[in-house]
Amino acid sequence: MPTNKQVKGQNLSLPGKLFHSLGLAILKRPMGQLLALFFRAIASLFSKNRSFKTDSKNIIMQTFFTGVEIFPVLFVVATLFGTVAIIEVVTMMGKMGFGNNIGDLIVIVIIRELGPILTAFLIAGRSGSSLTTYIGTMVINSEVDALATMGVDPIRFLVMPGLIGGCIAMFFMNIIFSTCAIVFGFLVTKGAIFVTGNMLNIQLTWDFLATEIIGAITLTDFIFIIIKPIVFGMIITTNACYQALNIQKDVRQVPKATSRSVIKSFLYVVIADVILSIFYFVDYMNSINSLI
Amino acid sequence: MLDEALRLEDIHLSYKDLAGTMFSRPRALDFFSKDDDDPQNELVSGANLIVKKGETLCIGGGSGQGKSTLLRIMAGLVRPSKGSIYYFGEYIPPERLTALEVAKRQVGLVFQNGALISNMRVRDNIALPLRYHKMGSPAEIEEKINMAMDLMRVRDEAGLFPHQLSAGMQKRVAIARSWAMDPKLLLMDEPTAGLDNYNRRNLLPLIDNMRMLFKTTIIIVTHDLMMAKELNCNLCFLHHKTLTEPRSFNYWLNSDTEISRDLFRDLRSQKNNM
Repeated sequence: MPTNKQVKGQNLSLPGKLFHSLGLAILKRPMGQLLALFFRAIASLFSKNRSFKTDSKNIIMQTFFTGVEIFPVLFVVATLFGTVAIIEVVTMMGKMGFGNNIGDLIVIVIIRELGPILTAFLIAGRSGSSLTTYIGTMVINSEVDALATMGVDPIRFLVMPGLIGGCIAMFFMNIIFSTCAIVFGFLVTKGAIFVTGNMLNIQLTWDFLATEIIGAITLTDFIFIIIKPIVFGMIITTNACYQALNIQKDVRQVPKATSRSVIKSFLYVVIADVILSIFYFVDYMNSINSLI
Repeated sequence: MLDEALRLEDIHLSYKDLAGTMFSRPRALDFFSKDDDDPQNELVSGANLIVKKGETLCIGGGSGQGKSTLLRIMAGLVRPSKGSIYYFGEYIPPERLTALEVAKRQVGLVFQNGALISNMRVRDNIALPLRYHKMGSPAEIEEKINMAMDLMRVRDEAGLFPHQLSAGMQKRVAIARSWAMDPKLLLMDEPTAGLDNYNRRNLLPLIDNMRMLFKTTIIIVTHDLMMAKELNCNLCFLHHKTLTEPRSFNYWLNSDTEISRDLFRDLRSQKNNM
């Protein structure tokens, strides 16, 4: 029978103690707990209760919920945003004599930066908040407790499908957003030119736009089209589940947790975007060296 | 020690340990260690209990004494501030004492409000743990669900959602769900509250069957002290933040302690009138 002293971990060696206190220092912070929740959700993919049929069903449901149902709003936002970006870029650049940099700017504005960020904001505002409310209400009704007492891991049952489904949905929605912004943005721009009788004096053809954009896309862009939305999706869903699972037993905490979930998702997404952008800067500096 | 189902040793619980579920928070050694040991802030201080295998025990006590909390401690949902718990003779250290770890040892809990998963039908609610743990082939699981539903008389409501059921029916579904898991130790929180007399009378033989046929150890938290008499089991009380010795119903009825005077007054007067 272990004595109390052994249980409390008093007789650790010095490196053990340092490691222990480091672990405690990390885990006592919300960021550490967020990371721990994320790794536990990933680890639960490989638990012995896995069953491909149920898991894939849950994940597809979540993907559908996160991605497909948001499509109408995302389509409208992407089209209007793409129209504005194309018109502004083309008129301003044409006036200032940088007509051959249009492709670069559109790639930077739509594909690199604002496409993933706006998709992340839309998904955080709609799907992240509803995930928080869903799990938070389950916590309040002690359904999460009931799951745990039945031996059903809440992290596996609730967090993992949301996490995987969120990442998949975020990836596809980002591609759809960028495509819609460019293709339908171009069409609406053409429509605007037709309706206003080319008041702004824009000379724009699809051949010109497509060649410019294809010429401006680099390999780094392709890599980051994959990495960025997946990282954002992980941040949004993990944060949403973390905020929900930490609700105290009080109904008033659910709306608070929901707003915390959305706002912190925005914050973390922007921070992650800045960190990921450092790679672009490195890429840019390398190309400057080669130019000089 | 081998024939014990559950042993609590010197359990203390302070009020601030009660709040919140901790599933997202990893637990480490000393993670929740506290410096103040003020007995004023404790809800339970120094509870000791030994339950033998196959035994049935009722825990009574006034409202707000922490009976349900004690049951949550046993189920691993609340971690005690101090003290140790043994399940079937096996000690679980506090950093591993979670509901999942306890549930691996086939401990079931029936919640006071049922706590059914609200977006699943009754049938799926009962099937959920069976399917998750892959307890048998789909046909076996189906048979087990039907048996559980027949026992608790909820077969007609199999296709309904929990919000379409009354509170008593929800409780019966919750009991069926726990029963289908074949628990070795079953914790029940107010099983008869909200049931009408007919269903209450049906529930008691079911509990009786479970302990006779399956040798399930059952701990019942209840206000309904007559249940202890009808099940012919021992009764202990959470009184002044500690658990009393388990004694029979008749002992409490006839003894001259404070608990007997408080809680058995009505039953005594009934007896005298008869």
